[in-house]
Amino acid sequence: MTQQARRVRTRLLAATALPVVTALALAACSSGGGTDSGSSKEPQTISLSYMIANNATSPYEVLAKKYESTHKGVTIKLTATSVDSYGQTITTQLQAGNGPDVFQVQGGTGQVQGTVNLAKAGLLAPLTGKNIAATIPSGQENLFTYKGKQYEMPVELLPTGLIYNDVAAKADGVTLTASSTLQDMYKACTTARSKGHALFALAGSISQNTGIVAVAIAISQVYGKEPNFNADRASGKTTFAADKYWKATLQTIVDMKDKGCFQDGAAGAGFDALTNGVGSLNATSYAFTAPVGAVADLENTVPGLKLEVMPFWAPKGEKTRMIVTADDGLAINAKTKSPKLTQDFLNWMAEPAQASLFAKTSGDLPIVGTNALLPQYEPVKNIIDDKSLIGPFPYSDWPNGQVYDALGTGVTGLLTGQATVDQVLQSMDQAWG
Amino acid sequence: MVTVVTETSVNKATSSSRRAAAGSGRASGPRRAVPLIKYGYWWWALPAILLVLAMVYVTTASGAFFAFTNWTGIGSFDITGIANFQRIFTTPALSGALWHTLVIAAAFVILTNLFGLLFALALNRTLKSRYVLRVLLFMPVVLSPIAVSYIWKFVFAYNGPLNAILGAVGLGSWQHTWLADPVSALVSVIVVMVWQNIGLVAVIYLAGLATVPQELEEAAALDGAGLWGRFRSVTLPMIRPSLAIATTLMLVQGLRIFDQIMALTNGGPFGATETLATQIYKQTFTYGQFGFGAALALVLTVIILVFAIAQQYATRSRDDVSR
Repeated sequence: MTQQARRVRTRLLAATALPVVTALALAACSSGGGTDSGSSKEPQTISLSYMIANNATSPYEVLAKKYESTHKGVTIKLTATSVDSYGQTITTQLQAGNGPDVFQVQGGTGQVQGTVNLAKAGLLAPLTGKNIAATIPSGQENLFTYKGKQYEMPVELLPTGLIYNDVAAKADGVTLTASSTLQDMYKACTTARSKGHALFALAGSISQNTGIVAVAIAISQVYGKEPNFNADRASGKTTFAADKYWKATLQTIVDMKDKGCFQDGAAGAGFDALTNGVGSLNATSYAFTAPVGAVADLENTVPGLKLEVMPFWAPKGEKTRMIVTADDGLAINAKTKSPKLTQDFLNWMAEPAQASLFAKTSGDLPIVGTNALLPQYEPVKNIIDDKSLIGPFPYSDWPNGQVYDALGTGVTGLLTGQATVDQVLQSMDQAWG
Repeated sequence: MVTVVTETSVNKATSSSRRAAAGSGRASGPRRAVPLIKYGYWWWALPAILLVLAMVYVTTASGAFFAFTNWTGIGSFDITGIANFQRIFTTPALSGALWHTLVIAAAFVILTNLFGLLFALALNRTLKSRYVLRVLLFMPVVLSPIAVSYIWKFVFAYNGPLNAILGAVGLGSWQHTWLADPVSALVSVIVVMVWQNIGLVAVIYLAGLATVPQELEEAAALDGAGLWGRFRSVTLPMIRPSLAIATTLMLVQGLRIFDQIMALTNGGPFGATETLATQIYKQTFTYGQFGFGAALALVLTVIILVFAIAQQYATRSRDDVSR
């Protein structure tokens, strides 16, 4: 072969190499996970995404593994995302068309990943399983349905109240029960202060914690007297600023601050103030407000720790109520390639046996079926069993998340003196739109 | 005979190559092999150019488009015109965020450049341990801003080391909820930002100071110029390019500050440390107001551009002016 011919051949090889390599790369990059485009049977591998806030075993993981073990050939790929970024992660994935088959959602419209918001956008598939309709608690249909169809299956009843360290309280001579009053609580604040402690631990720099304190008070002081406040606000009949019960709720927080109920430096404290302050064998506070499923996590983390669930006490003469909400649940992606499998999975999750296992793992209450309460719920058993004394999260059907954020931020402002009660309520009205 | 033919052929080939070379302007000589790969073609940059266009400019333009809509990140949207921009300038909380952005940026630029220049002057010459000190000064720069902020959050905590030290040295009256007071929270954020970036500015100025001839300073000293006189008349004019670079970088960084605020205060207490950057994040990702968040981002971009251009104009050299 002449030198020139050799050069020509080399150039031809180089010229053809690029498109061949590109074609191979594109073929390698094509999706191959779980799809079966050539067969009429739908894929038996589905993806499940959910939120996590700590390292504890997720009930979704437990239930998914159980489903796989009892349904041969099915694989459930799990994706756990931090609660801080879950909302934007899931909505971005759904909008981009590559969302998971099944994923955790929260009822109503108050969150970015709110069920009604996603259903309005056509991103969810209606749920059809025969067990699923029974999971919606009475009176909360508006959180899980849209235009008459159910789009979310709630997975547990989530009580929110006080995580209470009775051992630490009694060591300081403080005795509070579920039937105590707000006035009893103020006296206990004074007693705790005399011992160098504080009744409440508060993460004042975290709007979610300050907000949850406010709604735990409001469930008794506002919604115990005005159960239709949200509907009246939505129709313009009332406002937060004009409502005397909302004023009383926020004034309670101001009074708590003035009476020394919160720990020193509460306005700038983080979540560590809650776990270290209350969830410790050397607790310096007795209570903090949170979804009380965290009791199980804290007791598992600190051997020998015993905690209880308490309601936020109502003023004397008023009924003490608790938030018991079926907020968290599962939904199906409207674009799932496994519609039958996903519907079957959720229908199976709605069975009493699975509901019981979910609640036992999470430390909350089962969504269906009747089971013995976990020991920590003993003080509030009478409240939880009385439907007139429980209600969902007030913000679940607020129009957007800014209203709840205005409330949480406003409570911090009350603690630092930057805002008055009226200013906070006005900011909530402004955020409502 | 063959040799004569061969030589004739060679002569002809040489002549023809010489003529060809003469016509093309190349030096004559044996014909060289054409390389398979030639370097420097402009279209080699095309893939990278397309990637930058798609990932930066197209996305920026689409983001700018959504600033004129009410898109929530999911579902459909309506064109709302300038409603989002009107809302920015009529919402007190957002006006406050704009003000905090400017205050933080101004304090950040001034303090980092002041302390950075002072450290650079101190570590430029003479000091034997200057190389070790330069390393120590630069170390915070390489740390993650989020990690640094969380450590400082622990320092500023009510039960943290700062209050403990103040109590231990008899300054208990100075103990404070540093991150829960609207004024001290803003100051704390600035302190953390400045602390982490002094080293970067010092390095920029050290590079500039290295170009200042020592003889010029000695000559000025011999002419009777004092320390300040030598700095103002000799050093400062020669490090003007470093000044321009340092102030521009710190200005841009200060205007778009985000990590430190989210870690230290999350914009609190009660919005006292909210900036445009934190509001962009909250409006877009926490509240799902993508259209409004895009409008905020557009406003912040314009602000950064205006300040950056103004700063470049202010620090241009005399040579640039005279051209």
